[in-house]
Amino acid sequence: MRLTEPVLTKRIPGCVPGVNDGGTAARTTVSFEQYKATGGYASLAKALDMEPAKVIELVKEAVVRGRGGAGFPAGLKWSFLPQDDGAGHRYLCINCDEAEPGTFKDRLLCDFDPHLILEGIAIACHACKLDTAYFFIRGEYHHQAKVMEKAIQEAYAGGVFGKGGLLRRAGAISVDCFLHRSAGAYICGEETGLLEAIEGKRGWPRVKPPFPAVKGLFGRPTIINNVETLAAVVPIVEKGVAWWKGIGVESSLGGMPSYGTKLMGVSGHVNRPGVFEAPLGVKLSTLVNDYCGGMRKGKRFKGAIAGGVSMGVLGTDQFDAAMDFDIGRACNVLGLGTACPTIFDEDTDMVMVARNIARFFKNESCGQCTPCREGSGWIYKLLCRIEQGQATTADLDLLLELGMSMGLTPGTTICGLADGNNWAIRTIVGKFRGEFEKRVKPKFVPVHVSAH
Amino acid sequence: MSWKTKPSSTLQIPRRAEPYVCASVAERWEREIVAKYHVRKGALMPILHEIQHEHRCIPYQAMVEIARFLGISPAEVLDCATFYEEFSLEPRGRCTIGICQSIACEACDHKPLLDHCRRTLGIEPGETTADGSFTLLAMECLGSCDTAPVALFNETLHEKLDVPTVDRLIAQARQAPAGGHHH
Ligand SMILES: Cc1cc2nc3c(=O)[nH]c(=O)nc-3n(C[C@H](O)[C@H](O)[C@H](O)COP(=O)(O)O)c2cc1C
Ligand code: SF4
Ligand code: FES
Repeated sequence: MRLTEPVLTKRIPGCVPGVNDGGTAARTTVSFEQYKATGGYASLAKALDMEPAKVIELVKEAVVRGRGGAGFPAGLKWSFLPQDDGAGHRYLCINCDEAEPGTFKDRLLCDFDPHLILEGIAIACHACKLDTAYFFIRGEYHHQAKVMEKAIQEAYAGGVFGKGGLLRRAGAISVDCFLHRSAGAYICGEETGLLEAIEGKRGWPRVKPPFPAVKGLFGRPTIINNVETLAAVVPIVEKGVAWWKGIGVESSLGGMPSYGTKLMGVSGHVNRPGVFEAPLGVKLSTLVNDYCGGMRKGKRFKGAIAGGVSMGVLGTDQFDAAMDFDIGRACNVLGLGTACPTIFDEDTDMVMVARNIARFFKNESCGQCTPCREGSGWIYKLLCRIEQGQATTADLDLLLELGMSMGLTPGTTICGLADGNNWAIRTIVGKFRGEFEKRVKPKFVPVHVSAH
Repeated sequence: MSWKTKPSSTLQIPRRAEPYVCASVAERWEREIVAKYHVRKGALMPILHEIQHEHRCIPYQAMVEIARFLGISPAEVLDCATFYEEFSLEPRGRCTIGICQSIACEACDHKPLLDHCRRTLGIEPGETTADGSFTLLAMECLGSCDTAPVALFNETLHEKLDVPTVDRLIAQARQAPAGGHHH
């Protein structure tokens, strides 16, 4: 499965092998002028000719599922906003925290085609009647923050943002767009942690409800979307819903469809890792063999992280997994996540993988909920012990019990970080159980059997 | 997001005569930063970024002055400053080396890089050399997994690293004039 033409990456060479080759060396940051000269901001002009509600309708019909991890349909989210009461600001927060290990797709758009993101932002602000946009970018993206800041200034100078309405159209909403740099905290990628950070507080996720659409940033209605989700709206406005639905796949499990193209960042033991643009539903093995030039050193595939460590792992027999929003149910992982798989070859120690991921969650737990704060440290210690060969089978059971006890699904935490930990540990141990058992000493817990 | 116990009961705040938030700084912050947030406290993170960048730490006296500037309590500033990894209460070295230790980088052999830094600098991750020239950090995913293993040297990302390259970068940082590292 391959795109006939690049969509989100039409100005970024090397993302659809065989179609827009040219190599990654040919990439440059597209300026405002270059962007406009290649059809940029035409979708915004088209959207401004439409009633805001019609734009929301369009995004709803296209079933644009969130590209930030949860896959929630953007049009539906937008329709949850209350009517504009005229009583204050309404916000858009663009999530470019991208701190999920294995994920590096939004960075590609920031690096090379920042105006595609800004055009998506402007369209969303028109559709949802939002007057202020905060581009929330992780602190470690120093270069990308500079590129985005420059692009924002260009967009102001070019009449996109600022007083006088979008594109200086009479009657169009005036939008301010500001960059907000985070400072090294994975939890601020969680949408309400993100809001807290912009408000100048520690990034502690909020208890929901109230949902951000009703009471978000500074207590006002707020939409939070991933960078790629907003970028995807631009070609949809340009080419229409039918075209978008022609890419991707229907659900084979009777669920919501997976339409459109997706940025997929492949890392790990492949010959040519990188960000590619592919239709949703592409097989993982196709990504590895056709897009990435196969496994490194001709080794065999052992497993992969599905799409950021929070999603858990695909086992050796799941190499042909379809990369769409059904992957969670189809392959017993948490979900598609960011669609950025990390590939492991036959020499990879899966106990190491589990220990590495456990350390990540221990370091990044924000500490609000006891099961996550305490559990993540405990899981990490257990895995270190297993890795060093000092654990017993009882520890393995404890590990699984701990993992399963934390998260939104068991209902013990405020946010989904703990579910990520839960799924990662559970799927690695579940799918590579033999490897863990080889590393632990047998110890049987006495079982008392009573007569009744 | 580690949990740091705050030495509230024993802390002596070092003071200097020159304020961190002088009139011209306050005027510029008002115009360039506060103007972007509809609630004043929103300006806190950008302000902490600026202080950290300039002083390589967030001095307590600066926190008190920032609190006054924003009309919030010093505790609120401390709360924010201690939550985010990029802000530090202890001065960081002139060159901060942040080696990515997350999964793609470990799978692509980040360990020799970290060990080499440990040995060459004589410090563990989280520590700063006695002469204040280097801080070593083991960081989580830097968003460049396709070019693993990677590391940040101050604000510059270095990709597809190997030990000789890290060695060269350390030597270069040693020679860099003090203060010239950020640009
Ligand atoms: C712990 C945690 C970290 C997250 N990190 C990110 C992130 O870095 N980027 C992102 O877009 N979404 C992230 N999310 C998902 C957001 O909460 C939110 O669902 C998303 O930004 C919504 O945008 P979308 O609907 O366009 O995908 C994270 C969620 C959790 C629970
Ligand atoms: S689940 Fe973990 S990260 Fe999320 S709010 Fe609770 S303690 Fe914080
Ligand atoms: S794991 Fe090191 S950059 Fe992502």
